[in-house]
Amino acid sequence: MRILSVVEESVVDGPGIRTVIFTAGCPHRCKGCHNPSSWNPAGGEEVEVEELVQRIKVSGWDGVTVSGGEPFLQSSALAELVMACKSLGKNVWVYTGYTLEQLEAMHDEAVQTVLDYADVLVDGRFEQSLRDMGLRFRGSSNQRIIFLNKV
Amino acid sequence: MKLLQLYEDVCVLPDQDLVQENANVDGKSPLGKLARLSSEVSKELSQTYLMSERSKQAVSENYLYVHDADYYITGSTTCCQIPLGQLLKYGFHTGHGTIRSPKDIRSAMALASIILQANQNMQHGGQAFPMFDVDLAPYVEKTYERQLSRLQSLPVDWDDAQLEQLAEEETISATYQACEAFIHNANSMHSRGGGQVPFVSINYGTDTSKWGRILIRELLRATERGLGNGETPIFPIQIFKVKEGINFHEDDPNVDLFREACRVTGKRLFPNFSFIDAPFNASYYDGMHESEVAYMGCRTRVMGNRHGEETSIGRGNLSFSTLNLVKMALVSESLTDFYRILNRYIDIGIEQLVERFDYQCTRRAEEFRFLYTQGVWRGSEQLHMQDEVRDVLKQGTLSLGFIGLAETLKVLTGSTHAESREAERIGLDIVTHLANRMRVAAEAHDLNFSLLATPAEGLSGKFVTRDQEEFGMIEGVTNRAFYTNSFHVPVYQSVSIREKVRIEAPYHALCDAGHISYVEVDGSLAHNAEAVESIVRLMRQHDIGYGSINHPVDRCGNCGLEGLIDAACPTCGEDEDIERIRRITGYLVGTMDRWNTAKREEERARVKHDAHSIRR
Repeated sequence: MRILSVVEESVVDGPGIRTVIFTAGCPHRCKGCHNPSSWNPAGGEEVEVEELVQRIKVSGWDGVTVSGGEPFLQSSALAELVMACKSLGKNVWVYTGYTLEQLEAMHDEAVQTVLDYADVLVDGRFEQSLRDMGLRFRGSSNQRIIFLNKV
Repeated sequence: MKLLQLYEDVCVLPDQDLVQENANVDGKSPLGKLARLSSEVSKELSQTYLMSERSKQAVSENYLYVHDADYYITGSTTCCQIPLGQLLKYGFHTGHGTIRSPKDIRSAMALASIILQANQNMQHGGQAFPMFDVDLAPYVEKTYERQLSRLQSLPVDWDDAQLEQLAEEETISATYQACEAFIHNANSMHSRGGGQVPFVSINYGTDTSKWGRILIRELLRATERGLGNGETPIFPIQIFKVKEGINFHEDDPNVDLFREACRVTGKRLFPNFSFIDAPFNASYYDGMHESEVAYMGCRTRVMGNRHGEETSIGRGNLSFSTLNLVKMALVSESLTDFYRILNRYIDIGIEQLVERFDYQCTRRAEEFRFLYTQGVWRGSEQLHMQDEVRDVLKQGTLSLGFIGLAETLKVLTGSTHAESREAERIGLDIVTHLANRMRVAAEAHDLNFSLLATPAEGLSGKFVTRDQEEFGMIEGVTNRAFYTNSFHVPVYQSVSIREKVRIEAPYHALCDAGHISYVEVDGSLAHNAEAVESIVRLMRQHDIGYGSINHPVDRCGNCGLEGLIDAACPTCGEDEDIERIRRITGYLVGTMDRWNTAKREEERARVKHDAHSIRR
C-alpha cells in the first residue's frame, strides 16, 4: 500500500485515540486542501499491509482511521487493511472524497468489502465555502459521518 | 545587598526573568514590584540570621534550592487542605466579626471564597478544599428546603410533585450561579499581597448523594461556560477524584459525572484526575470521604502521618527544598561517586528542612490567626494565642524534592529514561534511594519527611543557568534553558502516550509528597471526550496517582473561535488578539507574557503527541 505517513496517536481523526494511516494519491484536489502533498499517487512510500497491521497492534489503542489522500484509490489493499483491523477488534473509520452513493455505484468488490467491514465512513469532498471549524472530525459541512455498521 | 542593583533590576528596566519568577503575578504592577523588593530583603535577612553555613553553602553552590525563601523569615508554612465543611458548619471569624453558618448554596460558596482569601495570607503556598462536593452538598439541600417552603407559601395550587420539581429547578439554578460566582472570584480576587489571586484547588467527584451530584454537575457546567467573555478559567485548579465503584465503571453511580469531567477537560484543561485506587492512595482508603486522597493543584500530596490521623484534611506541607541532581551527576566520576555526593546533599537537605522547621516552631499562633484559631490546621484548637505552634506543626510534611532526573541520567548513562532500559532502571534506583532516605529521616527525626517530585517554575531555569556558567553547554544536559521537572520524560523527547505513562507511573508510588504526570496532545480535544477518557483510563491502569492532559486551548479575541489557532484565526483572520492558555507547573496561564524565558522555551520544545496529523 502506498502511504504518506502513519500517526500513532491522533485525537482529531475520529473519537478516542486512533492510529491514522494517511494513504498517498488523491484525484479530488479540493480547493483549500490542507495537504496538497498527498495528491501525488507516486508520493510517500510503499508499505506492506502486514507491516501496517503490526504497527496498529503495537500502538494498542482501540481505533484506526484510514485517511488520505484518497484511500479508495487503493481499494484492494484498503479492504485487506480494514478486514485485518476488524479481526483485531479495532473500530475503523475511513475518510474519502467520494460520497457513499458514488462508492456504491462503483460496483467494485473491494470497495464493497470496505463498506461492509468499516465502522464509519466520513464522505465527500472538502468544500471551502462550507468550511466550519466547529464541526466534529470534519472540515466542511457537506461531509457526512456515516455509521456503516448500525449494530 | 547591592541596593543600586536592586533598584535597577526592579524599578528602572525590569528584566522579564527577574520580575517574572512566578507566572501568577504581574511583576510589572506596583504591588508586583513592591513584593519583589521585600522578597529580596527578606531573603537576605533569613540568609544572614537563620540559615546554617552548610545549608547556605549548598544553596550557593547550586546543589540545593530552598523554595519560598522570601517567606522563610515569617515562619509561614506552605499549604493546607482546608476543612471547609467544618468551617461552614460552625461559622468562623476573619478578624472583623463573626460569620454564621450559611443557609444556602450561594452564601456557602461565597464564604468558601472568603475562607480561601483569609487563609491565603497565612501561608505562602496553595490553598485547597479536599472534598468540595461533600462539604457543600448540605447547603444545596438547604437551598432546596428553602425553595420548597417559599413555594408552598405562595397562593398557587401546586401538587407535591410539581412543588418538588419547581424547588429542584430553582436549586439547580442557584447552585449553578453559586459555582459561577465562585469561579469568577477565584480569578479576580488579588488577595495575596495585593498582586496575586490565590492558588486555589478543589477536589471532588465522589459524593453520590443527590445534592452532591447537583453540585458537581453545575460546577462542571460553570467551568465549561467559562468567564464573562467565555475565557477559560485559570483558577480554581480542579481535581476530579476517580474511584472504582463510585465513578469509573459502567454501572457506578457517578460515572456520568466522570464522563462529563472528561468532556469539560477537553475544552477547559480542567479538571485534572486523581486516583484513589492507586495502591499508595488505596492503602489509606476506608470507605469514608475523609480518607480519600486530596491533592494540591500543583501536585502536593499529604497522607502519611506520624502524629495523628492519616488524612489530607487540615494538613499540608510545611516547607520543601529541591536537589539539583544534574549538577551532582556532572561533578561525579562514576555512578558510585554520584550516590556518595547525592547522600551528602540529602543529609544537608534534611538538616536544612529541620532547621527551618525549628524556626517555624518558634512562631506563635497569633501570628497566623486564621490558620490556627479557626480550626483550619489540624489540632490547632488546643493552642492559645501566645502558644508556640510546635505541637501542631508536626502534622505537616517536610519535603525534599528533586529536579532533572532525565538530564542526570543523560550524564550518568548517556541516555534518558525514555531512551534506554538501563537508564530507566537507574532512574528508578536513584529515586527509590531518595524515597528510602526520606523514610529513614522520618524515623530519625520523628517528623513527616516525604519525597517530592518538585514543581519547578522559576527553578527550572535557575539551576541550569548557573550550571551553564560552570560546565558550559553540554548537549542534552545543559544546552536548554530549563531542566526537566522531577522524574518527567523530557518534553523534547518523542514517546507515545502509552510509553510516557508507563515510564512515569512507578515514580508516583515513590514520590509520596506529590507527583503528577502530564500527557501532551496536539489538536483540540474539545470534540473528543473519548480520547480524554482513554488517557485517564490508561493512567488508572498504570497506577498513576495524579494526572493531567495538556492540549492547546486558543481563543480568538475577535470572533470567539476556540481550538487550536496557528498564526491567525482561521475563521476571521485575527492575528493579534489570540488568547493562548497553557499550563505551567500545574497552573494555567492565560497569556504567555507572564512566562519566564525558561518556561517559554520549555513550551516551544514540547513534543505534542500526534504533532503531524493532516486534518485539524
